[in-house]
Amino acid sequence: MAGGGGGSSAPSSTAPPPPYRPYRLARTLPAHTRAVSCVKFSNDGRLLASASLDKTVMVWSSSSLSLLATLAGHSEGVSDVAWSSDSHYVCSASDDRTVRIWDVRSPAGECVKVLRGHSSFVFCVNFNPQSNLIVSGSFDETIRLWDVKTGRCVRTIEAHDDPVTSVHFNRDGSIIVSGSHDGSCKIWDAAKGTCLKVLIDDKTPAVSFAKFSPNGKFILVATLDDTLKLWNYSTGKFLKIYTGHVNRTYCITSTFSVTNGKYIVSGSEDNCVYLWDLQSKNMVQKLEGHTDTVISVSCHPAENKIASAGLDNDRTVRIWIQDTA
Amino acid sequence: MNVPIIDPLQGDFPEVIEEYLQHGNMKCIAFNRRGTLLAAGCADGSCVIWDFETRGVAKELRDKDCIAPITSVCWSKYGHHILASATDKSLTLWNVVNGEKMARVTLQQTTLHARLHPGSSTPSVCLACPLSSAPILVDLNTGSSTVLPVSVSDAGNGTTAPHPRNKFSDGSPPFTPTAATFNKYGDLIYVGNSKGEILIVDSKNIRVHAIIPISGGSVVKDIVFSRSGQYLLTNSNDRVIRVYENLLPQKFAANELEAMSSNDHEFQGIEKLKVDGSKCLLLFREFQDAVTKIQWKAPCFSGDGEWVIGASASKGEHKLYIWDRAGYLVKILEGPKEALIDLAWHPVRPLVVSVSVAGLVYIWAKDYTENWSAFAPDFKELEENEEYVEREDEFDLMPESEKAKDLDINQDEEVDIVTMEKDSAFSDSEASQEELCFLPAIPLPDVPEQDKCLGSSSKLEDSNHSGSPFSIEAAQDGQAILPASSPLEVVGNSTAEEAVETSSLKRKRKPSVKGMELQAEKGRKPSTKIKPSGKSSKSKNKHGDGLDTNGSVLEDDVTDDYL
Repeated sequence: MAGGGGGSSAPSSTAPPPPYRPYRLARTLPAHTRAVSCVKFSNDGRLLASASLDKTVMVWSSSSLSLLATLAGHSEGVSDVAWSSDSHYVCSASDDRTVRIWDVRSPAGECVKVLRGHSSFVFCVNFNPQSNLIVSGSFDETIRLWDVKTGRCVRTIEAHDDPVTSVHFNRDGSIIVSGSHDGSCKIWDAAKGTCLKVLIDDKTPAVSFAKFSPNGKFILVATLDDTLKLWNYSTGKFLKIYTGHVNRTYCITSTFSVTNGKYIVSGSEDNCVYLWDLQSKNMVQKLEGHTDTVISVSCHPAENKIASAGLDNDRTVRIWIQDTA
Repeated sequence: MNVPIIDPLQGDFPEVIEEYLQHGNMKCIAFNRRGTLLAAGCADGSCVIWDFETRGVAKELRDKDCIAPITSVCWSKYGHHILASATDKSLTLWNVVNGEKMARVTLQQTTLHARLHPGSSTPSVCLACPLSSAPILVDLNTGSSTVLPVSVSDAGNGTTAPHPRNKFSDGSPPFTPTAATFNKYGDLIYVGNSKGEILIVDSKNIRVHAIIPISGGSVVKDIVFSRSGQYLLTNSNDRVIRVYENLLPQKFAANELEAMSSNDHEFQGIEKLKVDGSKCLLLFREFQDAVTKIQWKAPCFSGDGEWVIGASASKGEHKLYIWDRAGYLVKILEGPKEALIDLAWHPVRPLVVSVSVAGLVYIWAKDYTENWSAFAPDFKELEENEEYVEREDEFDLMPESEKAKDLDINQDEEVDIVTMEKDSAFSDSEASQEELCFLPAIPLPDVPEQDKCLGSSSKLEDSNHSGSPFSIEAAQDGQAILPASSPLEVVGNSTAEEAVETSSLKRKRKPSVKGMELQAEKGRKPSTKIKPSGKSSKSKNKHGDGLDTNGSVLEDDVTDDYL
């Protein structure tokens, strides 16, 4: 679909923005034996991690797409995975109520630490930019902050009234955004654990995903009514709405693509990956190929590459790249 | 970072002890420039670097040569080096990132206070104030030292005879402690001598450019600049803390001073120095405790220079006095009955850290009250009553204009998601060099462990402990937690990851929702020494079962706790 996208924040320039170059499927990785729950590129772009309900996390080279390591150790399925800033460590959140930290440089894919404390499935996890803390959200409705070095739970926040679906630090690690099935999206002070703001407080629809923009000023929130909204959290108002995809049941992750123009990328329950132009909110492309809900997407930090993961009927990780002109 | 929704009242002062840190016997402390790391010098010669965000030990600087107790620690400007002075007359320069000793110099006397030159990112020059004689500028690479002049007489020699009035009250022989500090960029050194004068010395050519006499003329024990360099305080033996305004510019102050003094031809000699001095510092305020006339110890400014804090030097008490810059005493903080040996205010946050003679570091912070208006998205908190004037059509069944307006957000506006703002709290972040804000956290491998019962000594190297607050309001058991019992609690936390449960409860400050949760956790850990009285864990023992069942059971329990 040739869209009028590609618009970065260029003021009314005389030249029209370059036409949008569509992404195409580059590779399908028959990754796991059960549904894939999450894919993430590392911060340096060299590696790709994929987590699955088959209880493992797989680490791939993002350039050759060969499998480098399989991190096994969880006793239940893994729901989320996150990279440390130096791309040396990966942490994974699992239904076995633990968070595990893995060293990806060790050849055997060794689990360095197990963080215990949650009383129910751990659903989402993230490192802070300094990578000395890990935040995790769980079905036990709490958010926990862990000290990476010792594994100690530094703080527990009674955050929500329903499972916490998403947690994310902002650019300097001072605040955390959390979304939950109880329909609220809250912002917490990372140092004190106090609630700074409640962004959304309607009972429905459930907030399935929340994430800060790269500059930490905006929050992208996905709700289970087929909607993605971009909020300015200081004013408490949303600025953009993105629709067209299907999102009623699953906590589908979405992300920003900033390597070649600004886009919002998200998975969808109609088995496609959607791309919208950030400013104009037009859907610029629909990537088809998966045979089940696309539950997670991740953009490479430097190249125009997107990775997507499919649920049980599909079980693959697909890599999409943009053709160079 | 300028996060707009974090409370702008950051520039306030602390009120209660939030927690304490324990690792060996700590003697002196220093924050790095951003307050993300806290360095502490210990009695066994090592330096411990705490990650202030996680309140855990980030690094230990140890060397087999350094075994004497540390008397002071100082960070370099961008946080890559630490200078430690010890009682064996040595100064050691450490590289923080790799933990190695870079240089070591032995002087004639033990240094009480050592300061690295603040102007450069790889400092090799430092200022050492020994116990009983003039301050010295030491070059750490060559080991050479230059003694600074502590007084100027017309004869021009640099020594000074002790003034008979300045004998210490306990009759010990008078020695001449002198305090000295660099100004913000290190081109000038401000020396406070035992005659009660401040000398401004050029740090390059060691010439005295100005003298400011302090009224009362008693020994200057401490001399400290505020972080911005705008204010200077002196702590004198006459039990008064004086705050001066620095009239010189921050950058190139030495040049300005030289220009000023060479332009001034009216006076000569000491008179000239005093006249120039009056153009450099202006007495702003004096702080003292008129009633009990306490001697002060370790006074310093808050990060933004709005508050001055001084500790009582009386033995057996741990009292901190906080004044605002206008001179009013705003708070007296009282800690456990252990004398205080060092004090530091966080560079950015309203936090104070104090070291007691027992070797513990106490962190004082504001008492956090939950901002309830944060919970309702469209709630606005008012400072005072506002008169509400209703609109003409407010109570109409179908108001015309107002309804649709709220949803009319300009959705076509351009949104910028990548541009980031500079951090304004740190004005001179022209950072030509990478600043070290945090040490990489390398997860310590899990000890393949069995039972988490305490008493089992921790196999991990840095079994750091942080403990519960002493203030009454955080009493989890409904009783004040006395210092005597704290070491017991700390032992309970020795195994790192099983301490997950118990240490998290130690940090709770409010017995509200969080308090409930920690009661629950206590109920889950029958082996903990701190057995709460049956009453508190009784109702929450359900949580113990909740562990094994799934979320639905928990939900009912948890909702009870809310608000």
